[in-house]
Amino acid sequence: SRRKRARARHKPCELRELEVSVSELGLGYESDETVLFRYCSGTCEAAVRSYDLSLKSMRSRRKIRKEKIRARPCCRPLAYDDDVSFLDAYNRYYTVNELSAKECGCV
Amino acid sequence: LASIFSGMDPATASKSNHCLDAAKACNLNDNCKRLRSAYISTCNRELSAAEPCSRRKCHKALRQFFDRVPGEFTFRLLFCSCKDTACAERRRQTIVPSCSYEDKDRPNCLDLRGACRADHLCRSRLADFHTNCQATFQSPTSCPGDNFQACLGSYAGLIGFDITPNYVDASTTSITISPWCSCKGSGNMEEECEKFLRDFTENPCLRNAIQAFGNGTDVNLVPKN
Repeated sequence: SRRKRARARHKPCELRELEVSVSELGLGYESDETVLFRYCSGTCEAAVRSYDLSLKSMRSRRKIRKEKIRARPCCRPLAYDDDVSFLDAYNRYYTVNELSAKECGCV
Repeated sequence: LASIFSGMDPATASKSNHCLDAAKACNLNDNCKRLRSAYISTCNRELSAAEPCSRRKCHKALRQFFDRVPGEFTFRLLFCSCKDTACAERRRQTIVPSCSYEDKDRPNCLDLRGACRADHLCRSRLADFHTNCQATFQSPTSCPGDNFQACLGSYAGLIGFDITPNYVDASTTSITISPWCSCKGSGNMEEECEKFLRDFTENPCLRNAIQAFGNGTDVNLVPKN
């Protein structure tokens, strides 16, 4: 339902996970092996800092104009998971690091 | 039509690969994934053109994997059953044989056994293997006490030592296991060497244990205790 979707959109920043094949990662590897892909998702409304409010104020007062700035926190990984290894379709092993999030936060 | 294909999508049925399923199960478990990745990256790390990998470090990482990850994951990876060569090749690749198994030349099996016996842990693991996988004609499974699990466990216990065994090829019909050695140059010990090698290559207990695990028919044969 619409209300359910609205609530899902407003979930606070947290770790979520998906089971995906290595090929689906889009890193150029061809492998049917399944890995757990953990990512950060959710809103950061509760984490607005004085920094963000002041930055917004500077922008509205046109003290900051041309620079690219971000005046609200963003839900991103604070730490990444251990390496993941897999065998590809040509029987070669690969190891990928920093593939998956381990911890999330509003930064 | 729906009833014919009920319960089984023909596309996935033809693609079913138990070794791939075993890798998935390991990847979804944090402990198994971490230790699998640790040995794969170690065994796959090229040192120089002359030295493709550090066998010593690779063996150590393999021992840690088989020592610290429960058999429900490691046995599935090692003994998965296969219907096609892609699956059997994946099974053969489990221990990263290019680093942990193959070598430029093939030593004599008795020399390899000697090297193993010089190491107290390898010596005791080899003794376990001979005890638990000793083919016997007194039981229907050919295994002592009909205990497949004990034989499979002893086999896995040899991985990461000088005597590391593996599948010799990616055949789906016949399973042949061997350490990386031959009986060439055995001199008057030829018979003893062949006997030692046959405990791996022509061992009905080991073969039955692997096949039963792959077919899922070993469940009832595990003694309760």
